[in-house]
Amino acid sequence: MEKNSAEKAYFTLFELNTVIKSAISDVFPGACWVAAEIAELKCNQKGHCYLELVEKEDEKTIAQIKATIWAYEYRKLGDKFEKSAGETLKPGMRVLLRVEVTFHEVYGLSLNIRDIDPAYTLGEMARKKREVIDRLRKEGIMGLNKSLPLPLVPQRAAVISSPTAAGYGDFFKQLDNNLYGYKFTHVLFPAVMQGQEAENSIISALSRIRKEKELFDVVVIIRGGGSVIDLNCFDGYEVASHAAKFPLPVITGIGHEKDDTVVDMVAHTKMKTPTAVAEFLISGLRSYEENIMGLRDRVYKEAGRLLRDERYRFDALIHRVSYIPLRISAVHTNRLSAVRSDLESRAVRILAEEEHRTGAIEQAMKHLDPANVLRRGYSITRHKGKVLKNAAVLKKWAVIETKLSSGEVTSIVQDRKETTKSEQRQTDILLPGLE
Amino acid sequence: MSKGKQISYSRALSELEKIVSEIESEETDLDVLSEKVKRAAHLIKFCRARLRSTEEEVKKALSEIEEGTVSEGPQEEESDGY
Repeated sequence: MEKNSAEKAYFTLFELNTVIKSAISDVFPGACWVAAEIAELKCNQKGHCYLELVEKEDEKTIAQIKATIWAYEYRKLGDKFEKSAGETLKPGMRVLLRVEVTFHEVYGLSLNIRDIDPAYTLGEMARKKREVIDRLRKEGIMGLNKSLPLPLVPQRAAVISSPTAAGYGDFFKQLDNNLYGYKFTHVLFPAVMQGQEAENSIISALSRIRKEKELFDVVVIIRGGGSVIDLNCFDGYEVASHAAKFPLPVITGIGHEKDDTVVDMVAHTKMKTPTAVAEFLISGLRSYEENIMGLRDRVYKEAGRLLRDERYRFDALIHRVSYIPLRISAVHTNRLSAVRSDLESRAVRILAEEEHRTGAIEQAMKHLDPANVLRRGYSITRHKGKVLKNAAVLKKWAVIETKLSSGEVTSIVQDRKETTKSEQRQTDILLPGLE
Repeated sequence: MSKGKQISYSRALSELEKIVSEIESEETDLDVLSEKVKRAAHLIKFCRARLRSTEEEVKKALSEIEEGTVSEGPQEEESDGY
């Protein structure tokens, strides 16, 4: 630095800036840590990153400065930060930066960012998130959506997603190709799902669905495939409050491994991925169907049992009825056979009696045969061809013929004598039926 | 239409439950039983068909909404961020 003579009582601008530059480098010989909020962030084509850092108090800016991350640093720092914080650097974010305070004669004062501490940002985000959660709790809306009953059959879904997200494709493919052939109605309400606009975009989609809420059973908020960063938009108070107060159950499938976002926390059901949300809806239909099939089985089982019981009762009745004719016929058969055996024995007896009687008659007949009589010594005497029974009809010298058992004799009557009446009677008894 | 589908699902379910509890608890007359079984079979068939059918009416209504939101969009307060 050059001191001019007395008549030259001023610096040239370059001289001044050189003095400032020197003074600053005296005060800030090395890098230092500074906490600030990113107000603006722009990267140019060369990869240099230009930021506007601010500090606010009650929403009023009380400090502001430009900062730069040179391309070669930005690539390294940006990656490291994203990995640790799960977020890209973006406006609204509070950051702890290791900076060199630099002053350039042409470009002025600027902070050259050499390092970023993601832990500070994480802590800040966590603090903000806690504040949002506390506020939702205080307002009593934290569990509002959870208190809604899940629909019996979640068949109609309003879907909030980016139309091009891989997760959206996963979701409807899973839903439409389900094993059971269930048909879902799902309608996309497109929204920006990351970055600055995301929160308002999601709120706007919710408002559109709210107008047609009668057409849907559930709201599905999905995101995913691709990066797991930029979930910050799901931690905002506004979007969480809209989701919490939504009149239909909200199911999230935001697809991340980290702690739940506030939207996940207020949602009715939080699933890990869009595919899992689809499975959840399918399982809802499945469970309904299983329920009614279980009831059907019980109806059939019970009906079957009742029918069987009834049939047994009927069969028993039939059995009893079928015995009636048998019993009746048995009675009749008994009576018949009694009659028959009665008849038989009677017939046998009658026949025996008849036979006996015939035998006796035969015997008697044998006795009466004249040949038998003649054989016993009796003889038959005829006079003029007539059997002679009374001697009184004969005269002396009358010729009579006598038939003996063997041979005949012709005689002439010499004498005759009449018999007494009693003798006559005896003859009648002895010789019945000879006439 | 609105929530008609949900209502018919829940009605079918509660009617089925009623039928089951009736025939499980009472000595059901055979004529009545046959009516109840027929009714249950009908309800189940109806529900299962419903699980496997899309609601054309909803689809139609929704396509109208889709068209509608394009023009309605700017009227919404929240839509400036979208």
